[in-house]
Amino acid sequence: MNMKKIIKPRQQVKFLPGHKVVLVEKLFGQEVPHGIIVRENPSTVVHRHTYGGLSFFFQSLTEGKLYGKRCLSGSCMHTGIWLPPRVHCPDCWEEMVWTEIDSSAAKVYSHSMTNLPGAGFLLSTPCPLISLEIPSVGTRFMGYLSKFGDGEPYIGMPVRPVFRTRKPTYTILDISWVPRDE
Amino acid sequence: MIEFGKGNLRTPRLSRRVYLAGVGMTDFRKFYPAQQTSALCLDALKMAVEGMGISPREFRHMVNFAVYSQFADHFGDQLLAEAKIHDYLGLDPIGNFGIKSGGATGGSAANAAIMAVASGYASVVPVVGWERMDEVDTRQGNAYIASAACKDFESHLGWSYTTYYALMMRRYLDENHPNRETLAKIAKKNHHYARFSPFSQLPGDYSIEEILNAKVVSDPLTFPECCAMSVGASVLVFCDEKTAFNLTDRPVEVVGIGSGSHTLRTADRRNMPILLLPNETEEMYKDRKTDWPGFTGFLAARFAARQAYGMAKIKDPVKEFDLIETHDAFTVSDIQTYEDIGLRPYGRGAEFVESGDAYLGGRLPANLSGGLLGSMHAVGATGLFQLAEIYWQLTGQWEKIHGDENLWERFGKTKPADWKNLQVPNARCGMAISHAGTGSHVTAIILERR
Repeated sequence: MNMKKIIKPRQQVKFLPGHKVVLVEKLFGQEVPHGIIVRENPSTVVHRHTYGGLSFFFQSLTEGKLYGKRCLSGSCMHTGIWLPPRVHCPDCWEEMVWTEIDSSAAKVYSHSMTNLPGAGFLLSTPCPLISLEIPSVGTRFMGYLSKFGDGEPYIGMPVRPVFRTRKPTYTILDISWVPRDE
Repeated sequence: MIEFGKGNLRTPRLSRRVYLAGVGMTDFRKFYPAQQTSALCLDALKMAVEGMGISPREFRHMVNFAVYSQFADHFGDQLLAEAKIHDYLGLDPIGNFGIKSGGATGGSAANAAIMAVASGYASVVPVVGWERMDEVDTRQGNAYIASAACKDFESHLGWSYTTYYALMMRRYLDENHPNRETLAKIAKKNHHYARFSPFSQLPGDYSIEEILNAKVVSDPLTFPECCAMSVGASVLVFCDEKTAFNLTDRPVEVVGIGSGSHTLRTADRRNMPILLLPNETEEMYKDRKTDWPGFTGFLAARFAARQAYGMAKIKDPVKEFDLIETHDAFTVSDIQTYEDIGLRPYGRGAEFVESGDAYLGGRLPANLSGGLLGSMHAVGATGLFQLAEIYWQLTGQWEKIHGDENLWERFGKTKPADWKNLQVPNARCGMAISHAGTGSHVTAIILERR
């Protein structure tokens, strides 16, 4: 029987469209030396980050509420409320309970000014970074002041929280602080 | 508050004596396109081995473990760079591991190598550290570094460690009222000392006014008060006693090591009684009204120093050390560290500078290397760089190395006409502090000449 052999053409591996090659000639104000190749390796990465047991905290920010965690174990209660919250108490390793923060007497514990933030910062600059002293909270919660005037912030400055309930980012930026008289 | 049990406060000890037998480094630059990381590491190791007076082959035949020190895979964009470098150095199939603990990576890697030798597992262990911080622009670099803050509650609030340290600085100024100029003097001193090192990236003579009036990175920290972002490598070679005495008649012994930790988030630092050092008493702090460690002290540094002092039987560091290298990432963190490691009581760190103690000729010269402010902060290399500089001081080689015209020329630099010898006369004992985050990890390593 005379079978005709079917010969498939060899497959070709091709470059996919859309890639761009960039060689760097100058960086940090300096020329790349002659004969040295510096190539741009572009990267776009999306991480999917879970808040896990802290999801309630971030959800609550979008609803205008600030929660911390408290350990109900008798030997651990002296620490006060944990804010930022954590699911487990670091001392007895038991799960702690959510408690709403009374921020009516919150004041600035320390402050700095973000003028040159790193890449990915979502806010305009200058942006005052603050740490807060809140009665019954055993920690010094970090945040930012979204409205400030001359001479503000200052240590001891009374502040109140405001929440980004419209178009929340589901990040810690959903809570900011303003002068209490604002 | 944090409560200590007896086991927590145990003084560490080494099962056998460990020595630092050789050190080497590259110069440090903002941008280093002419060399790949592997080649930089090889250059640093080659310098260390040449200093020990043996050939690369002889050295490779002696090695039985290796430790690698790199802060962030992000920067080099190469996972498991340790394997690539280990191979490049011709050290396969010897076992090795990489150590990571933020800014304290170098100190932690040195500690790991010391433990490997002390345990008897190994007798010759090179520690190779580097960072390649020039693949991304400075804004992205800052964001990478701030990825080592808490990504849920801190990173988004600036993507910059300078901002987090500026927060500590404001509190420090408010609680302790040092002259603002004193902090600037730390920057002035370290940039100045960097002028005499061929390895340094940011040498310069600045006036206090220039430092205070420079561009603000994050109020109140100005540019000259913030550390470099560098590319470069450093190497240490640790070994057992027999090897050390075979290699050199000037061995330098590791007499104390310590490591401490504290919350990654500055916010979470609970108030607690001050953990005292041998040169302190409760009486000294009976009228203290402010938090401890709060935003002005580092529990991790205090804990690490306490361990190292216990092992080395140090009672008064200013008197017993001949020089120190601190992790001066920012002027404020430096002054905080003086207090944590007992150079002055809490609240009085400024006196260490104002008294003249911190300068060459003073009682305890600090960061004659130029430190992180003046010389380098190629993070994984930094803790090793500090110990290498102390090694050269303790072995009386500082002038020979830093004054070497060939080295200046090799690094494309001109040795200053007013170059000064920063050798501490007859230096015998020194300590290096390696520090991460806003004090999440700190190591203390004490070296003494034999």
